[in-house]
Amino acid sequence: MSVLSFVLILIAVMTLVSGELFLKRAMETTHESGFGSRRVLLPFSAGIAAMTISFFLKLGLLQHFDLSYLYPFQGFSVIIISIAAAIMLHERLTPPLVIGALLISAGIVVVSIS
Amino acid sequence: MRNRPTGWANPLLHLVLSVILVTVSELLLKRGAAETATPQQTWSWTGVSGLASPWVWCAIVLIILSFVTWLHVLRYLALSVAFPLSNAVYVLVPLCSWLFLGESISATRWCGIALVLIGLVVVAKPVARLEERL
Repeated sequence: MSVLSFVLILIAVMTLVSGELFLKRAMETTHESGFGSRRVLLPFSAGIAAMTISFFLKLGLLQHFDLSYLYPFQGFSVIIISIAAAIMLHERLTPPLVIGALLISAGIVVVSIS
Repeated sequence: MRNRPTGWANPLLHLVLSVILVTVSELLLKRGAAETATPQQTWSWTGVSGLASPWVWCAIVLIILSFVTWLHVLRYLALSVAFPLSNAVYVLVPLCSWLFLGESISATRWCGIALVLIGLVVVAKPVARLEERL
């Protein structure tokens, strides 16, 4: 794997993670300020933009690598999203959440390499 | 934790709905893609020829619906709970491709599916207990 493809995979995962974080932040703010406010629409648009970048990067990567090569990296996004949600959104990570996320990630890796 | 709506607006119901919608859309995409596959064409890698299949359009509608239900889920559930649970698609898609599309599943893949399934139960159990107390 070349350095460039590794960087592209990293960006694809990170944009997916940040997209989910932005969407979560946007949807949480709807409770206080409704759907039309700028505090909702800004993170919502950022989330859509990040996910669009992730989608096209993934499409491009799929043209060069097998799905089974790329899916394990997607498996890690479960762990990364849990950690990011704890740090950025101050969600509380309980032991079952950590163990569950690790098992799911491991399972996705096994499913894709088989 | 924020008060969750019950009945049809229950975010857990929408999480299940979102996962089912994604699974069905993946199966429809596969069906549509198989019908319209034209490997000899220059532009085949973009997948645009798939748009000729009505199955692909059904899949697109389901993907949009699943996104709407996912947004509803995000309003009420913590991301560190909802996102791991949404990975149930990694169990359902291989199982449904095995049941409905006749694809085969290797022993290693069964092990991976089992791992994901155990992880889902571990994450979902405390959530289910919370729900009972409400």
